[in-house]
Amino acid sequence: MSTVQQTGATDQATFRLFSIATTLLLHLSIFAALIAMWEGVIAAGLVNEFLLPRPSRIAAAIGKLYLFDRTIYWHFAITMYEAVAGFAIGAAVGIALAVSSALNDTFRRYVAPYAIVLNVTPGLALTPIVIAWFGFGWGSKIALAAIISFFPIFVNTLAGLTQSDADRLEMFRSLGASRFQIFWKLRIPDALPVALAGLKIGMTTALIGAVVAEFAQATEGVGVLMQRYSFSLDMAAAIATLLSMSLMGLILFSIMELVDDRVVFWRRDARMAVISRKRAAAFARENPGLQTNNKHNAGGRQ
Amino acid sequence: MVVLTSSTREQDHGTRRGAGSFFHAAAFHPIVRHFAIFAVLIGAWEIGARTGTIDPLVLPAPSAIAEAMWRLFVTQRNIWWHLLVTIGEVLAGFTAGSILGIGLAIVVGLNPMVRKLLKPYVIVLEATPRIAIGPLIIAALGFGWSSKITIVMLVCFFAPFINTLSGMLSVNEGAYELFRSLRANKWQIFTKLMLLDAMPVIMAGLRLAMASALSGALVAEFISASEGMGVLLKRYTASLNMASAFGCLLTLTALGFAIYRTMEAVGNRIVFWRHAPQMDAVSRRRQAQWQRNWGA
Repeated sequence: MSTVQQTGATDQATFRLFSIATTLLLHLSIFAALIAMWEGVIAAGLVNEFLLPRPSRIAAAIGKLYLFDRTIYWHFAITMYEAVAGFAIGAAVGIALAVSSALNDTFRRYVAPYAIVLNVTPGLALTPIVIAWFGFGWGSKIALAAIISFFPIFVNTLAGLTQSDADRLEMFRSLGASRFQIFWKLRIPDALPVALAGLKIGMTTALIGAVVAEFAQATEGVGVLMQRYSFSLDMAAAIATLLSMSLMGLILFSIMELVDDRVVFWRRDARMAVISRKRAAAFARENPGLQTNNKHNAGGRQ
Repeated sequence: MVVLTSSTREQDHGTRRGAGSFFHAAAFHPIVRHFAIFAVLIGAWEIGARTGTIDPLVLPAPSAIAEAMWRLFVTQRNIWWHLLVTIGEVLAGFTAGSILGIGLAIVVGLNPMVRKLLKPYVIVLEATPRIAIGPLIIAALGFGWSSKITIVMLVCFFAPFINTLSGMLSVNEGAYELFRSLRANKWQIFTKLMLLDAMPVIMAGLRLAMASALSGALVAEFISASEGMGVLLKRYTASLNMASAFGCLLTLTALGFAIYRTMEAVGNRIVFWRHAPQMDAVSRRRQAQWQRNWGA
């Protein structure tokens, strides 16, 4: 029986691999066609090459930035550092304020009007002021990233913490859970998915903050590079820098996705299965006598 | 915002306290207390600035900010033109961007194949800090308004696009079945079911876009411009006239608040069925019209 199951599984795996391969091939060929069309349109002179450089020029600029001149790595690292540091500060303050507001109604009521005012102020408008406060160095970039990533994190965490399921709260109460238990075992797990969504938004926002602060006034960072290339009308290099920013965004976003996957594993079926198998195995190890249900799972892990 | 403001305890709080004495109820009414705290904060700030504890270059005194605002709006009146320029850029860019976003989403959303093929591009676009394209656009289109409007358009294109797409895809199955069994044609399904169903989500996207439009316009003006609130703000900060800079900032807060409320009001009008009082008003009006026409 096991062999039959195994071949079935292999067939399924092969089929999945095949369908992934075809999709990938389709995407690649369409991408190639688009690039070729772009190249052709500019070669034919339909679009001013000055406004929109050819893909081949952009590829050459990418090669120059990453392989020959290697100018971008330093700027790349600086902007990443600014964004991540700003995000960390914004997240720490945002989560701390959200938790205190959730725990204390009075505190929330008095913080609310200021939070609303802060929310409708376009955060990026603070750029010149933040630069005047913190100087031209890294500090001002980190500060702006922190300020604008604070708000989505604060609001989402607070929303998560205050929107616990009423039935479950009732259940906790009737089982005599303490305030502390209700907070750690009910409100925190309930809040995590929403809070993580806020953190994800905050991460992208922090990157925007760092880049915009670099536009305004800086000597290093991807924003500076972008501005320098744009204003020297080296459009190919500017677009290459823009693509590097996309890469940064993708890196930061995938890290957050990964964290999301790990932390709120019960929202993802695949992760849920892995974690429950692991916990079952741990349970079986600790309680050798109680192997009736978990035997299969525990065996699978070893 | 709902999270912050909705508090059922707020109402019975006053009555519980007020049951004791009239004085208590008046002095400790939530709004009175809010104002008291606000006044204390402003007072402490003013005193701090006057005594030199707070560096006026970091945080100018509230009175200085008020004075600067008076000058900006009433005596010198130089803010009005810049405010108008920024509002114009925001409105033009927002309109162009949302039309582009919604239109593209409708074209794409109706075709599952295109949708699938577009996915990787959408992911990359989502991760890119879109405002970063600013210097490029300014270099390409010049220092005038057209580059700002284009930047605002690109910044606010994305949210309506994504929201329209997801709104149109999450059509109620039962309603769809009903439309089909009543033999609605494709056009009817599109206009009376998909688009209407997607409306609340589209409005949410437009709200997001409007908020980012203001930021987009400001950043575009920071990069390079000769007029607009961003220019004014940058100029005042660069000359360390912090009181005027804070005056500009407060003006932008007011503008942001006005935009927020307007979008909310427009949303309630358009998606009236999501909003109970508005729903009542509209159904009453429709009923009256029906009775007029058919004399029931």
